[in-house]
Amino acid sequence: MIHVSNVTKTYDDGTIKVNALRGIDLEIREGEFTAIVGPSGSGKTTLLNIVGGLDSATTGKIEIGSKDISTLSENELIDFRLNHIGFVFQSYNLIPVLTAKENVEFLMLLQKKSEEEREKRTTKLLQAVGLADQINKKPNEMSGGQQQRVAVARALASKPDFVLADEPTANLDSKSTANLLDIMLELNKQENITFVFSTHDQRVIDRAKRIITVEDGQVLSDVTKG
Amino acid sequence: MIVRIAFKNIWRNRLRSWTLIIAIALGIFGGLAVVSTATGLTNMRQRNAISTYVSHIQIHDSNYLKYAGLEDLIANENEVVSYLEKSEKVNGVSARLRLESFVQSAGGSSGIVLNGIHPESEKQVTNLYTKLQDSNYLEHYKRKSPILISQRLADKLNARIKTTLQVSFTGADEIPITGVFKVVDIFQTSNSLYDDLNAFVRLEDLQALSGVMGSHEIAITLHDDDEVEGLKQELEIKFPTHHIASWRGIAPELGYADKMMGLVMTIFLIIIMLALAFGIVNTMLMAVLERKKELGMLISVGMNKQKVFWMIVWESIFLALIAGPIGIVAAYLGVNFFGTYGIDLSFAAKGLRSVGLESTLFPELDSNYYLIISILVVCTAILSCIYPAYKALKLNPAETIRTA
Repeated sequence: MIHVSNVTKTYDDGTIKVNALRGIDLEIREGEFTAIVGPSGSGKTTLLNIVGGLDSATTGKIEIGSKDISTLSENELIDFRLNHIGFVFQSYNLIPVLTAKENVEFLMLLQKKSEEEREKRTTKLLQAVGLADQINKKPNEMSGGQQQRVAVARALASKPDFVLADEPTANLDSKSTANLLDIMLELNKQENITFVFSTHDQRVIDRAKRIITVEDGQVLSDVTKG
Repeated sequence: MIVRIAFKNIWRNRLRSWTLIIAIALGIFGGLAVVSTATGLTNMRQRNAISTYVSHIQIHDSNYLKYAGLEDLIANENEVVSYLEKSEKVNGVSARLRLESFVQSAGGSSGIVLNGIHPESEKQVTNLYTKLQDSNYLEHYKRKSPILISQRLADKLNARIKTTLQVSFTGADEIPITGVFKVVDIFQTSNSLYDDLNAFVRLEDLQALSGVMGSHEIAITLHDDDEVEGLKQELEIKFPTHHIASWRGIAPELGYADKMMGLVMTIFLIIIMLALAFGIVNTMLMAVLERKKELGMLISVGMNKQKVFWMIVWESIFLALIAGPIGIVAAYLGVNFFGTYGIDLSFAAKGLRSVGLESTLFPELDSNYYLIISILVVCTAILSCIYPAYKALKLNPAETIRTA
């Protein structure tokens, strides 16, 4: 469970203060498929970065499970991200010199998983995202949709508690978007993996089970679909 | 994995990596080429000096070096020579009588040092007999007093082979003496100053003419250069009243040149390593700044900063490890080739002779230099990537992953 309590974020460059988040309270439960939506500059990416430990809140508390991540040191936070959070980025961000298989395997290597376990999980995940026949291709040999599916497989490789996806479909065409959402919904349904998106893509919003609308750094609405 | 990614990373921009690799290799090659050339020059100068006029060790009477007096002869000369001839370290011993003289011909005159030598003994100590135009060494002449003069002196005196020279000096009991010698051959060494000032006659002729019975100088050459200081100390103990000097003491400028060359080489290597370091810093900084987004992603997904740091360091090490052997092998081949066949500098022969050098240079390089350069290159590569790696550590992942 992710527990966000009264989180604020203020950017201060010495001359101008920008309140990106103004007291956010949220609770995201295990197995949810949640979209955080809102216009550009509304604070959704900031919220996602703070939840993912990539950025720190000015005030407030982020608890993941029973851990308050705002109290962790930089190195502890990196370690926490490795073992508990999966990330999918807007522009895929795969390691260009590694193949699809190596990209997925990478986090497990950082976790010092055995070769057997790495092999087994990489094969399983690439099959799950429909890329079993592309394992030896490098990112520049794959389409955007394929790269994003590798990114999803990579995000899940470390067996995270949840996956944060920052506008994962922004660079994809309709077909690739639909395909990626199918895969993520399937993983959510079958393996109970929690997905949290920040998006303003209507195609994602339509398929999300819970929609949290953020505007001017505040939660405007929080709707769970029946 | 980090090492593997680092290795793959350097081939992302092949042109840039190869440019840097070639630059590093050229730097190493250039450094070693200059070091080997300078070593070759220094060693040639030393060898020439030792084999032509300095020898490894010289023995004089304690007063001779101060006053160069006629009477400052080596005491117990026979005992000293006999002791040296029995030593297994000694290659050759030659006793010399040296008189400051004035030489005249029909065409000119000059002040010289007239060296009375045993032709056979001198062959063991100097290579004078190899520097003659017609190979007419002193021992071939039985009747007239032969003299060997240099080409430079011959030019000055307007003399040639068979020219008769009149040589004047102060003999025993301070009696002015003039002798007549016939030029039997003309020599040319690689040291023009030495050539200007020295002429050689038979010791027996000079002793008979001057009435000075004895020698001012005993020159010694050894089988092994490394034994010079040891034998010098041995002789100092054995003959404490004599002045015994190694080639470094006799011709300190050679030792200074050696030290000076060492200093110049150190400065030169520092300059090369600095150029190398700036090249690496520039390239690695570009590589880091170009990959901000990717590095941000790696930190985001859980790669700790130490690993990011080491990945950058490994990239530099790989570049140095590829470039290092290329530069070192190229230098090794170049030094071996020119060390065998020599570099022809005959266009500057006159100038080189004036500083005791021959016109064919043979580069030399101590094998330790290859190791030193290899270690220096890797150390420089590691040190120079610290700043780019530090820049990578300072990246804010939340900002960098969203950059275009």
